[in-house]
Amino acid sequence: MTPETVAVAVFLFTYALVVSEKIHRAVAAMFGASVILFLKIVPWENIPKYLDLNTLFLLMGMMIIVNTARNSGLFEYVAIKTAKLAHGSPIRVLLLFSIVTAVISSVLDNVTTVLLLTPMLLYISRLMELSPIPFLLSEIFASNIGGTATLIGDPPNIMIGSAAKLSFNEFLINMGPIAAIDLGVTILIIYLAYNNALKVTPKKKVMIIQTLRGLDEKAAIRDIRLFRKSVAIILFVVALFFLHDRLGIEPAVVALFGASLILLWTREDPEGIFEKIEWPALFFFGGLFIIVGALEETGTIAKVAEWVLTHVHTQGEALLVITWFSAFSSAIVDNIPLTAAMIPLIKHMGASMNVYPLWWALSLGACLGGNGTAIGASANVVVIGIAEREDVRITFVDFLKVGMIIMIITVAIGVGILWIRYVGW
Amino acid sequence: MGLFSSLIQRKFKDIAGKRYERILKEYRDFLLTEEEMVLPEIKSVLIPLDRFIGEIPVEVYETLSAYRDAKFVLLYIIDIHVSYMIEQTLGVEASEEFKKKEKEEGMKLLGKISRNFEALGINPQLRLFFGDKSRDIISLAQKHDLLVLSKAYGSEITKTHPLSPVVLKIVQHVNIPVIVY
Repeated sequence: MTPETVAVAVFLFTYALVVSEKIHRAVAAMFGASVILFLKIVPWENIPKYLDLNTLFLLMGMMIIVNTARNSGLFEYVAIKTAKLAHGSPIRVLLLFSIVTAVISSVLDNVTTVLLLTPMLLYISRLMELSPIPFLLSEIFASNIGGTATLIGDPPNIMIGSAAKLSFNEFLINMGPIAAIDLGVTILIIYLAYNNALKVTPKKKVMIIQTLRGLDEKAAIRDIRLFRKSVAIILFVVALFFLHDRLGIEPAVVALFGASLILLWTREDPEGIFEKIEWPALFFFGGLFIIVGALEETGTIAKVAEWVLTHVHTQGEALLVITWFSAFSSAIVDNIPLTAAMIPLIKHMGASMNVYPLWWALSLGACLGGNGTAIGASANVVVIGIAEREDVRITFVDFLKVGMIIMIITVAIGVGILWIRYVGW
Repeated sequence: MGLFSSLIQRKFKDIAGKRYERILKEYRDFLLTEEEMVLPEIKSVLIPLDRFIGEIPVEVYETLSAYRDAKFVLLYIIDIHVSYMIEQTLGVEASEEFKKKEKEEGMKLLGKISRNFEALGINPQLRLFFGDKSRDIISLAQKHDLLVLSKAYGSEITKTHPLSPVVLKIVQHVNIPVIVY
């Protein structure tokens, strides 16, 4: 068995384990990476080359900031405030929660965002005596779309930004407008698809307003000083992200600086916060970097890139192929291993064409592709999982019917914008 | 559990871990439970008034407008014990004068509050009588579905005593929902 065959076999085997979910994805990735290192397919001294510390530390820093801020009740406060602003109107609930979800997801990770907002959405739908399905679907799509908008919104973007040295502002300029248009279109589609399910009587509306008025958003704040400090630090970190390329510092440094600052300023128990870091996610990433590194080390990625280049001749063709391939693949399998495999491929393609637009194509496909199926993205799984626990069933087919349409339309809009910007009319 | 459900629950456990349980617990601290969320059917509302209540806040009118179809009773009770004490200490004439003034004031307040309700499309019934504020309201509350009380009912309130003792006694003895404003 050649090292190349082993690298491909380990990659496919790990992929299969991740897809089947028979064992934890972090364990699958760790095991694959261990095999690669044990067989010396990736020599020990080459680990720093493949282990993307920028991605790992950026994720870690943001996890520390989010977990510290969470202790203050900040996110529950936002959820109640949003619910109250809706004034008992289902359409406003749909609109406001979608926008809030997208905005929070563009800065924080999608899973945390939906974990914190879904209980509130279920509560309001129960109050309105309406089916929560349109609201939950809209939340899922908004979360994935919001994550597309920034460098720190979704793990694939963090990986792409780190590999291609793209700044926060470049992401915002290239992906922000696409995400904003896609969000508007998605809310409109949900509204049209579920129009009849979004109505309440005027009497019911008054009752909803009264019940929501009884909710005190300030009661959600567990520690007002921590709340204020958390808001200040999050705003400061976001501001630093805007400036990181001008200051010449890596996004990971911004996140770690913010993380250390929030721990220093708030005096929260660091042990408790460090325990809440999603270590399985970080080990999953680490393992994947090594497994994909093996494909690079053995020249497999270079061969695939050569093959792609013999069939794809222009930048426009490459843009379309990468976008739609990554979109449909992300709808079926986890977008993180997909992005990890696509990054070196695009890097290799850089030898014969300008790959700058292709990074955006990958980001677009990998992030928005998740909307296609119920298992396409972590946010989908979390929201559907919570809904199931609350006796609200969203079947695979139910999701597919709406999700696939949303995915195709939003990706088409995105690819259209990228085409106009980088390929021309 | 179907294949899809078990896949979702497995993935959910992998991704969210125990975070959801923690978040749910934190939400439960301030969100209403399923039981609390069911609004009681209100067919009759009792609103006691007296000389210590100048006005009903706008928010209370808004809340009560949700029960437009219910029967509203505005009740003004003149304290019989005060009248008796005046009669014993200052004489019958002074007591009669007190009763007359109290009746006038009561009718004025009932008229004013009634007009506010009429503006919302609610026509309340008006009642005025001499009696024991706490005992009569506790007794009358049995025939109503909702009691709406001012914090100052039956006594002036202060910073140190923000709730009238009469209100405290009433809310401890009635078994219908009470809005205290």
